Amino acid sequence: MAIRSAALAEAETTADLVDGPSRLWRRLLHSPLTCAGLIVTLVFLVLAVIGPWIAPYDPSTVSNSATAAPSFAHWLGTTQNGQDVFSQMLYGARASMLVGFGSAVVTTVLSVLVGVTAGYLGGTGDELLSLLANVFLVLPSLPLTIILAAYLPHSGSLGVILVISVTGWAWGARVLRAQTLSLRKRDFVEAARATGEKTSRIIRKDILPNQVAVIAASFLGTVTAAILTQASLAFLGLTDVTQWSWGTILYWAQVSSALLTGAWWWFIPAGLAIALVGTALSLVNFGIDEFINPRLRQAGIGTKKAQRAQVRRRWTRRVKYRRPTGARPATVPFTVDSTDVVLDVRNLRVEYVNGTARTPAVNDVSFTLRRGEVLGIAGESGSGKSTLAYAITRLHKPPAEISQGEIVYTGPDGSAVDVLSMPDEQLRGFRWEELSIVFQSAMHALNPIMRVGEQIEDVIRAHRPGLSVQQRAARIVELLGIVGIPADRAGSYPHELSGGMRQRAMIAIGLALDPEIIVMDEPTTALDVVIQRQIVEKIMELKDKLGFSVIFITHDLSLLIELSDTIAVMYGGKIVEMAAADDFYQRPRHPYSRGLLASFPTLGGPKRELTGIVGSPPDLRRLPTGCSFRPRCPVAFDDCSTVEPALYQLHAPDSGPSEAACLLYAEGAQQELAMGEVK
Amino acid sequence: MRTLLRKFGFYVLTAWVAISLNFLIPRIMPGDPADNLINQFHGKLSPSAVKALRVLFGQSDTSLWQQYLNYWHSVFTGDFGISYAYYPSSVGTVIGQSMYWTLILITSCTVIGFVVGTGLGMLAGWKRGSWVDSLVPVTTFLSSIPYFWFAIIIVLVFAITLNWFPLSGGYSVDQTIGFNSGFIASALYYAVLPAVTIVITSLGGWLIGMRNMMVTTLSEDYVRLAEAKGLSRRRIMYSYAARNAMLPSLSGFAMSLGFVIGGSIVTEVVFNYPGLGTVLFKAAQAADYPLMSAIFLLITILVLVANLLADIAYAFLDPRTRES
Repeated sequence: MAIRSAALAEAETTADLVDGPSRLWRRLLHSPLTCAGLIVTLVFLVLAVIGPWIAPYDPSTVSNSATAAPSFAHWLGTTQNGQDVFSQMLYGARASMLVGFGSAVVTTVLSVLVGVTAGYLGGTGDELLSLLANVFLVLPSLPLTIILAAYLPHSGSLGVILVISVTGWAWGARVLRAQTLSLRKRDFVEAARATGEKTSRIIRKDILPNQVAVIAASFLGTVTAAILTQASLAFLGLTDVTQWSWGTILYWAQVSSALLTGAWWWFIPAGLAIALVGTALSLVNFGIDEFINPRLRQAGIGTKKAQRAQVRRRWTRRVKYRRPTGARPATVPFTVDSTDVVLDVRNLRVEYVNGTARTPAVNDVSFTLRRGEVLGIAGESGSGKSTLAYAITRLHKPPAEISQGEIVYTGPDGSAVDVLSMPDEQLRGFRWEELSIVFQSAMHALNPIMRVGEQIEDVIRAHRPGLSVQQRAARIVELLGIVGIPADRAGSYPHELSGGMRQRAMIAIGLALDPEIIVMDEPTTALDVVIQRQIVEKIMELKDKLGFSVIFITHDLSLLIELSDTIAVMYGGKIVEMAAADDFYQRPRHPYSRGLLASFPTLGGPKRELTGIVGSPPDLRRLPTGCSFRPRCPVAFDDCSTVEPALYQLHAPDSGPSEAACLLYAEGAQQELAMGEVK
Repeated sequence: MRTLLRKFGFYVLTAWVAISLNFLIPRIMPGDPADNLINQFHGKLSPSAVKALRVLFGQSDTSLWQQYLNYWHSVFTGDFGISYAYYPSSVGTVIGQSMYWTLILITSCTVIGFVVGTGLGMLAGWKRGSWVDSLVPVTTFLSSIPYFWFAIIIVLVFAITLNWFPLSGGYSVDQTIGFNSGFIASALYYAVLPAVTIVITSLGGWLIGMRNMMVTTLSEDYVRLAEAKGLSRRRIMYSYAARNAMLPSLSGFAMSLGFVIGGSIVTEVVFNYPGLGTVLFKAAQAADYPLMSAIFLLITILVLVANLLADIAYAFLDPRTRES
């Protein structure tokens, strides 16, 4: 589950609604609060059913012990007329629960009928039904209920149920309609429609099972509302006051000024029972909410736990980070032999913690980024590349935790600092000033309700408090100009820009403070090919002009080969190969890299036969022993299942230095290297 | 602007449905409320009162369509006839005396409840998993308590036992109603307990909604980007997370408002507060149909106006809704 929710947190989150009722139950029974809610609800339901049989007295029988305090004979005391309150509560439970669950059943049936019909039919029928639902939603229900009840006095539970259902169906219908609408567009429903299945069958088999959680939530919500409404009506004397319900008990207690005369036992139990049932049902509903929306299970970022960014604190290397004072030194173009390291990541390990289980998503990763270099990180989804990108900036969220390693940043003035041991305030100053990030989807990464200009301005204001309004405005215009956005677009909201323009706006934000490093996490994945090209060219042009270093993360290897100086390939949380881009393309070392390169055509170069990699990415929770690529490796041999390969240094005469984590290159296995390449 | 116009059109339509419903209910309900009322008064009603009653609750001698037109006429002229519970005051007078109490009480309680509940919800979501989050079960319990039950206990503790606040009513009887400091101070003093009841019991709904949206919003990319930008926590919490998270609360305003108003009506009865809730209760007890239907109409219109205001606020806060 940890990996699952972590993956959801890292990647685009989509509510996993396509899960059956059985998963819902398992989820609900998992949380103690939800369990407590379920148990309390069940207890009250059982009492409602057997109440009249186990009640010690007839609730209406008058006795001599008037307004007696709770005693062994009368557990909850007696009323003014000597009636047993406990028996009244038991009888009342039946009426209250009957109204609650009865109304919920009728209301839910109405909601499902209207909601699913509207959502499935679409068109005019949908518009009319939604309009009707919206109208009923706005009508104030309790006044309406009171009026209807006043016209139907002494109508008993059935009348109350009808009145509550008529006024209460709209909310559920609206939610279900929206749900059905989105489900109808899902592939499996489309497929069922295409194969000519009957509408009723599609709704029964494909649509309704996927709405169980939503229907249950609306059902339980209605139970609470109906019990409360019934109690209010009874309390006001607008129902049959001779029929025992919790509301009726309160009515008689109030009429006889129970509390004023000190007979608290007469008044307290009914209210508490209503509140208990309501709370219990809400707790179950919270469980359902968390099932529908997995994000609700994560810890907030304001907690101490999250604030620490889950770094195991070590204070060994406390070099104070200082803000750059002057302009950055003039940039020198990057060369392969450069030793000017700007970011040094050493033995970084990021684990997802779930109770006692720790699953490494980034496992002992080391690399260096040199000033002006473009480092490309490639890998399939689940290879840990995004987790790595977030960990570098300590943006990973619980349950992810950095358990080991260091990330040393060296400023242009030569001062080095460990990012992982920075206190919060210092980290805040470091972020964006030295290292900025361009996210995968600008659509999601830009705040939808803030103007683009303002989103650039706030980062300038946070880091350069000295600048005047005019200076900030000038900088915004300059930045937008750099990425090719007209200056008047600063006042636009993200949704008013095209996809490419949004991504360029993201880059403008990334450049706002002229950082040393920009991490680009699949910055072009969501764009079409033409725009993709424009953006990549823009990035490269800016890199040459401004001299920042880039960590470029993508699964698009051909793009990476084209723009990177160095390429690192990740597999199962580890870097399995690292080499200069040219060498990598000419002579991939790791069998996985060869597989990757063979699985797509490159833009230039000779024609090759395309082959894929058999199998699927490894499950990080159950990595195979030895080399994690072994099950999919075409050249695996016996040792591969027992020996975990380290990253071996390779020095071939005809290419630069490279590293590969494969036993083929282990000491003494260099002969086999030749064999491997022949294959 | 177009969106707002469409919204406005929707509310006009809803008002029409509510008013027509009001016309229909007495006519489709079993029994003849007009005859019942006339019989109750044993011929003591003036002919004009009888006529008004017939217009509102069905005449046997004219067509339904004609009745509907007459009904609309009385809606626009505000002529709802004579109140029977407050005989011989007219419905208009009774409502005129009580509506401001309710309007002020409920408006301020809704605003306070929304602000406090949403604020706490924001913190609970921001610090999900910490002690603030444990507020959630507590407020859930509070919002599951019947309003009136809580109100009575509040009265017992603060008005009867501690004697800090008055037992019931809207103002001290020795004050004259008007814009003078004595009356206003007294009205505020009398409003404390009803207001506290409504705010405390309605808080939970706002809180849980905002908390859940806040937690959901916190995992949005734009919040992570705001963190990556090194903005202050305050800025991230308010401008990035909370401003986005509160939008659904506003669009779900209608539903929540319905609950608050429903609860406040019963609360008013407990406090014998001179507002619409108490009047509606008395009207329902006395089967005063003219008064009931007029109050229902008024409450509906007020709810519609409140929702329109919420929609305007929404359009102001969310640029995406401003254009079609």
